[in-house]
Amino acid sequence: MAAPRLNPLTLLAAAAAVLVITTAASSWAFSLTVAAGAVALSAANGCARRVLLAGTAILAPFWLSLLVMHGLFYPEGRTVLVHWGPARVTAEGLGFALDMGLRTSAFVLVLMLFSFSIRVPDLVAALATLRLPPQFGYVLASTLMLAPIIAARLGKVRQAQEARGLVVGKGIRSRLGAVRLQMIPLVLGLVHDAGTRAQALDARGFGRPGPRTTYRKVNDSHAQRGFRVVALLLAAVAVVLRIAASYLTGGPA
Amino acid sequence: MSGQETARATLQAAIDSFAFHGDSAPALRGVQVEAVPGSLTAVLGGSGSGKSTLGRLLGAWLEGGRDGTLKGTLQLYVGDNTDESRPLVYSGADDDPRIDAAAWADHVGYVPQDAAAMLSAVRGTVEEELAFGLENRGTARADMVRIVAETAHRTGLTGLLERDPATLSGGELRRLALGCAIVADPGILILDEPLASLDDAGARALTGLVKAQLARGTAVVVLSQHADSLTRTASQWIVLKGGAVTAAGRPDRLLAGDSLADAGVVVSGLPGQRSLQAQPRLSPVPAAAPALELDGVSFGYHAGGPGSSLLLDNADLSVRPGEIVAVTGPNGAGKSTLLRLFNGLLRPLRGEVRVDGKAISGVPTGIVAERLGLLFQHPHDQLFERTVQREVSFGLERLFGDGAQARAEAALASVGLDGDGGVHPHELSGSGQRLLALATVLAREPAVLALDEPTVALDAHGLQRLTAAISAAAGRGAAVVLVTHDLAFARAHAHRTVKLSGGVLAGS
Amino acid sequence: MSQPSLTLPTPGQQAGRNRRLLELLGAAAIAATFVYLVLTQPADIAGGLGSVSALVALGGFLLGAALLIAGVLPTLPTSTVVLMPVALVLNIVLGQLMGTSGLPFYFDAIGTVLVAVLAGPAAGAATGALSSIVWSFINPTVLPFAAGAALIGFLAGTAARYGLFRRFYLAPVAGFVTGILAGVVSAPVAAFVFGGTSGAGTGAIVSAFRAMGDTLLAAITKQALISDPMDKAIVFAIAATLVYALPRRTTFQFPFVRRFNVLAGKDPAKRDS
Repeated sequence: MAAPRLNPLTLLAAAAAVLVITTAASSWAFSLTVAAGAVALSAANGCARRVLLAGTAILAPFWLSLLVMHGLFYPEGRTVLVHWGPARVTAEGLGFALDMGLRTSAFVLVLMLFSFSIRVPDLVAALATLRLPPQFGYVLASTLMLAPIIAARLGKVRQAQEARGLVVGKGIRSRLGAVRLQMIPLVLGLVHDAGTRAQALDARGFGRPGPRTTYRKVNDSHAQRGFRVVALLLAAVAVVLRIAASYLTGGPA
Repeated sequence: MSGQETARATLQAAIDSFAFHGDSAPALRGVQVEAVPGSLTAVLGGSGSGKSTLGRLLGAWLEGGRDGTLKGTLQLYVGDNTDESRPLVYSGADDDPRIDAAAWADHVGYVPQDAAAMLSAVRGTVEEELAFGLENRGTARADMVRIVAETAHRTGLTGLLERDPATLSGGELRRLALGCAIVADPGILILDEPLASLDDAGARALTGLVKAQLARGTAVVVLSQHADSLTRTASQWIVLKGGAVTAAGRPDRLLAGDSLADAGVVVSGLPGQRSLQAQPRLSPVPAAAPALELDGVSFGYHAGGPGSSLLLDNADLSVRPGEIVAVTGPNGAGKSTLLRLFNGLLRPLRGEVRVDGKAISGVPTGIVAERLGLLFQHPHDQLFERTVQREVSFGLERLFGDGAQARAEAALASVGLDGDGGVHPHELSGSGQRLLALATVLAREPAVLALDEPTVALDAHGLQRLTAAISAAAGRGAAVVLVTHDLAFARAHAHRTVKLSGGVLAGS
Repeated sequence: MSQPSLTLPTPGQQAGRNRRLLELLGAAAIAATFVYLVLTQPADIAGGLGSVSALVALGGFLLGAALLIAGVLPTLPTSTVVLMPVALVLNIVLGQLMGTSGLPFYFDAIGTVLVAVLAGPAAGAATGALSSIVWSFINPTVLPFAAGAALIGFLAGTAARYGLFRRFYLAPVAGFVTGILAGVVSAPVAAFVFGGTSGAGTGAIVSAFRAMGDTLLAAITKQALISDPMDKAIVFAIAATLVYALPRRTTFQFPFVRRFNVLAGKDPAKRDS
């Protein structure tokens, strides 16, 4: 587990730079390399299973949609491979689906690797040192920590209501009705809690202007700071090169 | 920040009136409170008396203008210099002062009844949670570490600093909330129901903490609906009812009068003073078939796993119509689990549960609920309608047809909410919400009534209505099973008590 | 004695103006990006993948969203900030469920609309943008849609400001119009960054337009014009149901609700204005 010792900002800068360069490079081979690299790194990091599971859940429907969309219907395509009625399978269409699919795969896998490699409290502490509004770190951390609490709460609401005699039938109307009855206490409870929490946070100085400090220590080093600058510079260079290239070949492409 | 004594502070509040936005009636009228260094003041009142609203106003959790219309003055004296401070005068107009809640909290710390509400909920450990307020004021890290350690020492949290706050027990959580309030070392502390739902050990630890704060010169105000061991040591009592002061003075003088009973304050601990006298109990029908039967029921959450232990081992229980049975037992013994087995929210590993003579195996909980009404601990989860009337009427028409309306009204009347039909359930007091949830169960006239800790959060009036409703239900032939940690209540109101401990149900 | 510091000073004008500038810059970045993408859309996407367009779409929209967040967040009262995580969880959970259902709807803006109705257009826009950013920790493909999500929040808040949530039947109408605008703004992201849409239902509709010979951007825009207005009409109606279920004491806590008389039948005391 080497990754958690790196500063989350270093990982964030690395992920952002890789994504920008991949988009600028715009080549299926490059995208494939990046995607494979993300999987390899996640394996080294011990989170390959989670990255692949989450990535597949997102990418499988996306690939399916792309292949149907561009594989069957691609009016710009010239090289027709198969033909059924309005649907034409073209080489260009398949190529486009492949390009886009791989680029998005790289995008998704790199970001999944990032989010599985960091610990949220570390990221929030690191963001605080960047002098971002403290509200940003709060919303980020609170959302990610709230999800399991809300799931548990929904379970309790459901039990309490069944015990009151609510029967969820098989029909769609009955189910929608049950969703309404469960959503309302859930949202009411959450909004009520949020109101109380706001008062607590204000009393504890959350609304104070001025600089903050962090209790949690996050590792950082000159080398990591240097790396972050280099990564962002590389990304900028890639964008400039891409734009220059597109003007040299005439018009944006 | 450190040292043996806090910066002494005095708070004088004179609230002529405070009304929440959109409410026609004020929540508080003509209330005066003074918190003096080293003294304990108790504000006593029933549920909905305005205690919490008063506490929140004093702690600047509620503010005039933002949360409602406030008329009156707040005056805070810090240190010995009492000449320079100007009172904050509210007239309910736009140019009223706006309190800086953070600066106010440096001198006046408020700890809510629901301790979890005090936490930021974005910090993963107890020490980071304690440091949250220090981070926000930009305290240097070395100072933070020192102050956190000191606060943890004072609140007895030293051994828990690395724990996730979500895993703390109720007593530990309340000490953490108190710790969060005293990191700034305020001269005044306002504690809302500090002992509610704590077991004996938890209550003792918290009482000790309050005593230590008083010894440091802190002015402490406790808000409570119990005249209990802590509030009895106060130098001054203020009794609230319906947002107004009905009595004020020394505890011994007020204990002699009837203002406490009138306000719905629960007076406990003194023989003969108990406001709850045992109701005359009808005997259960001896020959009738049992309304609820557990036959050799076993249950465990991680059954089959290594080292799994059964929460319930081969338990038998039989409750006849008209019988009231109390289930007691230590925390974590599985009392709430037992109730969930009654209506099929949990299914037994072995054995059978029969309600009204019919086995519930394979019957959905929602159907079992027609014969067995289960009341949960948290009424918030069970309520979902816009008004009290709609809430209690929900689903009755399907059961009773034309008689639905009458039954809804009878159920509301039986818990004393017949005047509140148009109110939003969440705007009822804590007691009111629990009673409304009870009414929704009563209106369906189930054969078995199962109640999970029904006495918690009820004031004296609420307790009377609860006991009346239980007796009435038993009187019409319903079997009642109630789970409670309140042994005195169990002895006073149940025909028999069953103890659940170590997976075994034992009668007594 | 530090007595005077117990109360808050009246907010400074200069700081407010700087924040306002950030908001305007953010909105301008989003608008400029959209105009650029529509004007220069590559005639033949097969030639070079529209890589510059993808970079512009990503960069411009994300920059705009970030500026909006930076401008709005520090000005919000804590009561609005703590509502945001609740809104975000609602968005994310319902959006994830809908994404796997195969229906051509999203349902990922209920929380955003809820905040917008209670706290106004600026808070709504920030919630929408933050929603995409935080959701991207779980599903990175939503990140580039931050600008569209911000627009939804802004429009919902504006609708509430002008009383469209006072009548229950007007809320879906406002949602319908919001859907049209949000769909048009989000379509270039789907087209240039992802080359299509991620859902099975939406993909089928795009395919149908492509079969008729539309360009990819046109096909995705038309799909958006079918899905988004319906989706947002439903979302606005659900949000209205939830807001009206809240107790008055809760809704009146928000100055926006009191000041603009956002909710019907709950006539706020105008006495303090």
